Amino acid sequence: MNGRDVVVTGCGCLGPWGIGSDALAHALGRGEPLARPIDRTAGYHRAASAQLVAACGALDLTPWVSPQAARRMSDLSLFAVAAARMALQQAGLDSVAGDRTAVAFATAFGPGGFTEQLARQILEQGGKAASPFLFTDCVANAAAGQVAIDLGARGANLTLCQREAGPLLALEQGATEIASGRADFCLAGAVDEMKPLSHAILDRFRALARPDAHGTGELPRPFDRRRRGVLAGEGATVLLLEDEAAARARGARILARVRATARAFDPGAGRASFGRDDQGLAAVLHARLAPWLAEVDAVVSTASGARHGDALEARILRRTFAALPPVLVPKAVHGEYGGGTLATALLALGGLDVARPAACDQPDPALGVVPVHGRVQAHRVLCSALAAGGAAAWTILEVP
Amino acid sequence: MNRGPIVVTGLGAVCGLGTGIAAVWQRALAGRHAIEPIGLFATTTHRTTLAATVPADAPLLAGRGWSNAERFACTAAAEAVRTLPAAALRSARAGVFFGSSTGALFEAERWLSARLSGHEGALAPLAAQQNDGPGTAVARHLGVRGPVATWSTACTSANVALGAALDALRTGEIDVAVAGGADELCETTYAGFNSLRAVDARPTRPFRAGRAGLSLGEGAGVLLLETRDHARARGATVLCELAAAGRSCDAHHVSAPEPGGRGAAAAIRAALHEAGLEPAAVTFVNAHGTGTPHNDAAEAKALQAVFGARTATLPVTSSKSLVGHLLGAAGGIEAVFTALSIVHRLVPPLAGLEPADPALGLDVVLGAPRALPERNVGLSTNLAFGGNNAVVLLRSHAP
Repeated sequence: MNGRDVVVTGCGCLGPWGIGSDALAHALGRGEPLARPIDRTAGYHRAASAQLVAACGALDLTPWVSPQAARRMSDLSLFAVAAARMALQQAGLDSVAGDRTAVAFATAFGPGGFTEQLARQILEQGGKAASPFLFTDCVANAAAGQVAIDLGARGANLTLCQREAGPLLALEQGATEIASGRADFCLAGAVDEMKPLSHAILDRFRALARPDAHGTGELPRPFDRRRRGVLAGEGATVLLLEDEAAARARGARILARVRATARAFDPGAGRASFGRDDQGLAAVLHARLAPWLAEVDAVVSTASGARHGDALEARILRRTFAALPPVLVPKAVHGEYGGGTLATALLALGGLDVARPAACDQPDPALGVVPVHGRVQAHRVLCSALAAGGAAAWTILEVP
Repeated sequence: MNRGPIVVTGLGAVCGLGTGIAAVWQRALAGRHAIEPIGLFATTTHRTTLAATVPADAPLLAGRGWSNAERFACTAAAEAVRTLPAAALRSARAGVFFGSSTGALFEAERWLSARLSGHEGALAPLAAQQNDGPGTAVARHLGVRGPVATWSTACTSANVALGAALDALRTGEIDVAVAGGADELCETTYAGFNSLRAVDARPTRPFRAGRAGLSLGEGAGVLLLETRDHARARGATVLCELAAAGRSCDAHHVSAPEPGGRGAAAAIRAALHEAGLEPAAVTFVNAHGTGTPHNDAAEAKALQAVFGARTATLPVTSSKSLVGHLLGAAGGIEAVFTALSIVHRLVPPLAGLEPADPALGLDVVLGAPRALPERNVGLSTNLAFGGNNAVVLLRSHAP
């Protein structure tokens, strides 16, 4: 990063694994997809569509958000506020209220549930039926705004929407706020909700794995020869970023340093598909991150079971590393979206036992990437994010 | 890393006033607004009937299944980069930084409407339904290989994107940035703002005593930004500089501005600090100026807090009076207007003849364009849902 060194001192996360990093670590240790049936009662889904979702289910978030406050929020805002409060708690901070606390979030779809409800009100009952409550919390930045209100964060308030690349782009944006000296704290991360309408639309674009005749094809299979698509998920991961010198001065426990970031784009990608320019993307990755790549000892991969996306990722990784470090595929467990990869990267730096997902037991020989099984104790992790539509981002996190 | 000033070398605009800088600017100087009855969808079930939409016969780029917002974005971007060799864009040293708050929501509404009627609507436009649709389309259309990102912070989106582009240029990540925003009008947005009683039944009247709300608009505003050295090396004409960006959050309410304007003032001060400028250096303001009673009052207080007694003689305009509120693209089109004001040394007037609200204490540009001095610093402000504030400062280029 240009400027001040940026470190992570807190992580709040929730998702289909439950609440907190320990629950995520447990889920990654089991290696089983956290899938459950999607609600199809609204009639958006086609008969042969995907039927599973990695949903949060009923999480008790009352330790972080009062039921009264939660009633005024979309799931997206609720997830974000709870995760942000968890991050603060882990960072040992009672308050970050003030002008120098920024928020930088990513969301792929925003509050899709509220937007759908609002649109249905208008389309079915006319414009005058629109609910102002739904409208004000249906903008993509509502979650970041709610976090700011909850915590009194009056610095820059940023929300990125760049599909699967969003979490790392938001982390980069948040780190820039700290490195530049514009903020002393930044709550950075990703938050997503996965509602039936979004799920059904993703399915129509054939992004999701669908059931096969054996009833097993719907599982996410990163880097596996039988991969057929992703498992859509939801959740939130929020990291508390701060200046390393300031964090040390206050005696904070440092979870990771944001060493370097890279961003690129593949213009050959389709509007809803991955590109194929591994050479071009790898060239940017190398140009930006070369000084640190040699000591990368784990990769938290973007691989999700997407047919072409995983192939692109594999080719980039093979171009980047002569000998591949251990590759984690957390999306095999928690699905796509929700930022769980950020929390996984921190876990890998702290030491993590992962099980290779059973659905990934037939690695695609054409890809040459075998997900790690066993203990990962990394000192420097490369996080990767490739998005449908062409965007790409990478971040190196390291033990300081 | 000091890479010198970041310069603006191209502009592109699509809005209700027209397609292309020349047409838009000519009509803006004439104080014409584009706020008319909506033809895009039926307004019979809505509380109001007006908006500044892009004419259906506008000469826009098109592609298979493109959403309206993608067409706006790519058309404006193509105009902005027309003097730049394609090779400079098809590079990892070029990036796209965009703002959008609705993506392709108009097309998504059409699809959902069909689905609720038991039919299957056209799927292709839904590929761009996410908010990154317009910006990603621009990147694909131009062949960019560097950073591409979309910010969706409601009405500040494009100003936030401009600030991010500035960061990327200053840190040396890239040499060229295509930055701005695009948004399309849709029923969800229209009904939503009406549900808040925030839409004026008449064309919006920012900073007037009788103001009663905003008028929505649609379109795109795009700037081509370069490092000074890159622009010099290719012999580009420099229009002005993007001097700084400032961001803040009210942390007050999900949709209403903090009444004292403290958050907006903090964003302005942050930009001035970043640019190394005193408030006295600012020669005009292109305000957020939505025309809602509370927004304009809060914004006036923010300007008073920063500029003090000088506020009474600091020319203030609002592009929204002419082109409506372009939401996530507002910062883009308003930065374009601000840059044009610096280039032509003229501030366009607000539409209409009603006098300014004396309670606000602003020097609102009315009736005719206001002449500017030879060297200028223009402030363009945006405030948004979530308490989001983002401003940019543009200034005359010192060769």
